[in-house]
Formats: sequence, structure tokens, C-alpha cells
Amino acid sequence: MSESLDTKITANPLIVLREEFDDWALLFNPDTGNTFALNPMGVFIWKILEQGELSSAITRKVCESTQDAPPDAEKQVEDFVLEIVRLGLARKEGERDS
Amino acid sequence: MTANSAGTKPFYPIAELYFYLTADCNLNCRHCWIEPRHLAASASSSCLDPALFVKIIDQAVPLGLNRVKFTGGEPLFHPRIEDLIDVVKKRGLRLTVETNGTLCTREIAEKIASVDNAFVSVSLDAANPEIHEWIRGKKGCFAETLTGIRNLTGAGLHPQIIMTLMKRNPGEMERVVRLAESLKAGSVKFNVLQPTARGERMFAEGQAVDIADLIALGKWVEEDLSKTTILPLYYDQPPAFRSLESMFNPQSGLGCHTCGIFTILGVLAGGSYALCGIGETVPEMVFGNAARDSLRDVWENSPVLNDIRSGLPARLEGVCAECLLKNVCLGSCIAQNYYSRHNLWAPHWYCEEAHRHGLFPETRLRQTETIK
Ligand code: SF4
Ligand code: SF4
Repeated sequence: MSESLDTKITANPLIVLREEFDDWALLFNPDTGNTFALNPMGVFIWKILEQGELSSAITRKVCESTQDAPPDAEKQVEDFVLEIVRLGLARKEGERDS
Repeated sequence: MTANSAGTKPFYPIAELYFYLTADCNLNCRHCWIEPRHLAASASSSCLDPALFVKIIDQAVPLGLNRVKFTGGEPLFHPRIEDLIDVVKKRGLRLTVETNGTLCTREIAEKIASVDNAFVSVSLDAANPEIHEWIRGKKGCFAETLTGIRNLTGAGLHPQIIMTLMKRNPGEMERVVRLAESLKAGSVKFNVLQPTARGERMFAEGQAVDIADLIALGKWVEEDLSKTTILPLYYDQPPAFRSLESMFNPQSGLGCHTCGIFTILGVLAGGSYALCGIGETVPEMVFGNAARDSLRDVWENSPVLNDIRSGLPARLEGVCAECLLKNVCLGSCIAQNYYSRHNLWAPHWYCEEAHRHGLFPETRLRQTETIK
């Protein structure tokens, strides 16, 4: 995880998480009506973001949570979190609401 | 949707034309949603003029056309079907053929297979010939369909088997999968009977499967039946009833049904442009005719199409308005929804019925408390 990305990232509190029977979930933005599907690992990360966490710690927690993390797990987590931020579902510390 | 060069007015390509090539059919299926005239002859007598077909294709390619679907009536009942396939091939377009299989000779199968990446689906409603023929309205058609499927696989294609579910045949689902495996089909799709045209009469006669049973069958296909076969199985119900994994997992997901109306236009056997196939039974959903109207003009200026573009999915009503998947699903099938209520924004009957019975998944609704 690059130094520049190691900021605290927090889920947008307006976003609704709808967990389903198979551990997948929907993220729903009531303002825009947009919906996003999350797989179980995405749900795990989202719950970390709900508490607010440094990006490096997010990666560490994910890797600790799984026995067989793929070699590119760190990159995958980083990309996922960046995408969540880009979609306005979470924000980096210091950023304002758009 | 993409932006045009000026970046102002949205530009919608016609990615696919659905050609309802014949207004008649050699079978007489009791659930058909188009209701073609049944004709016991060797070829259709009411079909799309091949010259008009070429004219339409020539006008559609500059508007973005890359795929055509041949459906019907029965598309292979068209007396010049091989010439039409040649046109598709020469233009480098993708081809989908939806057929009952009974007229699929070795020559036609090879002709279809000569088009790159051609996709064929064949209707087979039971592994039991008696049930299939009860549904399809013609004695002997079961064997003819199997011959057609074998001709397709012999030509190197792996057709999708499509089975439409009604009261009489859910007991056949597993056997159809086994038959599809033995025929070397590529996949099996279970369609739900739609309350349109002849299907509407089947609903009125109590021959449709109850909504609770339909939902249960979908779950069984996804969770159990699919594990017994290497063939992909599609159960064609709105996405609200599919697991997220089955739709969105990039490794195993099968995608989900979504209304393609932003990029699809129907062409009826008489050359009319229509909202998919329902122009055959709902005249106000016909937007012009290829013999006299420019396709560009119809596509860009039809008030109905423009209404759909500006209103979908925001104006969807009923349970669709509350559904978290409406941006993906777009109401499942606008043509079906319009047929049911004569309202473009009407909710899809399947979801509405499920909602009415308290069977709509709560996690898929904006306001969970709307279901009690
Ligand atoms: S409620 Fe409407 S938008 Fe939602 S899945 Fe059903 S048909 Fe699609
Ligand atoms: S209206 Fe129905 S048939 Fe037409 S694109 Fe939409 S889903 Fe397909």
C-alpha cells in the first residue's frame, strides 16, 4: 500500500448495507438510487470502513482474516477501496462531502 | 448509453434488431406470446420481404447494429431463410436464432454455423414426447425437434434448450437437463410462461404455475439442479429473485435479465418497426414501417421510444419503483409490462404478484417495511 494512500477511510453513513442469506450484500445510496453488489469479502471490508480505518490497516485486517489470501490480495483490496471512494460510498479523511 | 460528439444529446445505438420473420408458424403452441397464424404448409406465406430485410440492415448498420435475432412465428419457416442468413454473414453481424427446431435441416444448420459465433436456442418443453406435443400442438413434433437439435450439433453448434414452465411440465425439468446433456446442447434456459396473447389464456385457464412455486423452482434450479450438470442453467425470472452471486460473481455469475429496450428494436413480418414483438398484438406499439419510413427517423423520433429513454427506470411504478435492482433490471421487460397494463411504467407482473403475496425479498426493496 503506497504511503500516499494511507489515510483514514470511512464509509458514507448515508449508505445502506443490505446483507443477504449467502453473505453477499447490496449497498444502496438512497440519494441517487444507485445500488452495488458486494461479495462476502467486500462486506467484510465495508464493515471495517463503517468504523473508519487507515487504508494500510484495512489490508492487514483482510489478510489476517483469510488463510489463503492470493498473492495480489493487497492490490485487490486497495483497488476495491479506491473504487468505493470513487463511487462516493466512502471518503478519505480530509475530503468533503460532494 | 454514450454521448455523441457534441456531448449534448444522448445517442442510443441500435445494437440489435429482433426480426419476427414470419407471421405464421408450423406449430400451434398453446403459450405463444406472439400468437402467429398456424399454417400446415412447408413454408410461411406471410413473411418479411428479403429486399426489405436488406434495406433495413443497410440502414441499421450506420446506427450501430452489430447483432440480429431471428425469431417469429417460426424463423426457419421463412422460405428464403438461407439468403437472410447470408446477408447477416456478409455484413459480419452476430446472429441469434430462436426456433422450434422442427424445420432445422442439415443444410440450414450448416448455414447458421457458417456465421461466426452464431447462437441458436431451440424450444423443448418436456423430455416426454406426449407432454411436449400437448404444449406445441402438433403430433410428431418432438422427434422433429430432436432431429433439428442433432443437425445443429452435427454442424458444430451447441444450441441452448429453452423450456417454458407451466402447470403441466415442472416434473420434466430435470429430465430435460439430462436430455440436453445427451444431445450435446450448450445450456438450458427455463422460461416462465408470460401472460401475453395465448399465454394470457393459459393463465385464465389456471395452467400457469403459482408464483410461490415459480420462486421455489428458481431456487431449486440455482441451488440444486445446477450442481448436477456441467451445463449452465438459466432460470429466467427478474433479478430480484436471483442470488447476487449468481448474477454478479465474475467467475460463476450468469448475468441477469435486463430489458434491452434502449438498444433493441423489433421488426415485424410486414416490415413494421415495433416495441419488440408486441406490435403484433398491440398496434400502438408500432412506430413505422420499413417500406416507407427511414429507420433513423423512427429510431430517433418515435415519441414512445423517446419517452422510454427519458423515463426508464425512474418512472417505473409499483414494486419496480421500490426495487433496489431497477437500475440494472429496467423493469425486466417493458413490452410485457405494457401488454399487461397498457402503461409503459407498469411493474412486471412476476414481481408484483410476488409482492402481493409477501414473497418479494425484503433486502431488495428501498423500504423494507413495505413488506409485512
Ligand atoms: S421489481 Fe421490477 S425492477 Fe425489480 S427485479 Fe422485479 S421487474 Fe426488475
Ligand atoms: S421489451 Fe422485452 S423483449 Fe424487448 S428488449 Fe425489453 S425485455 Fe427484451
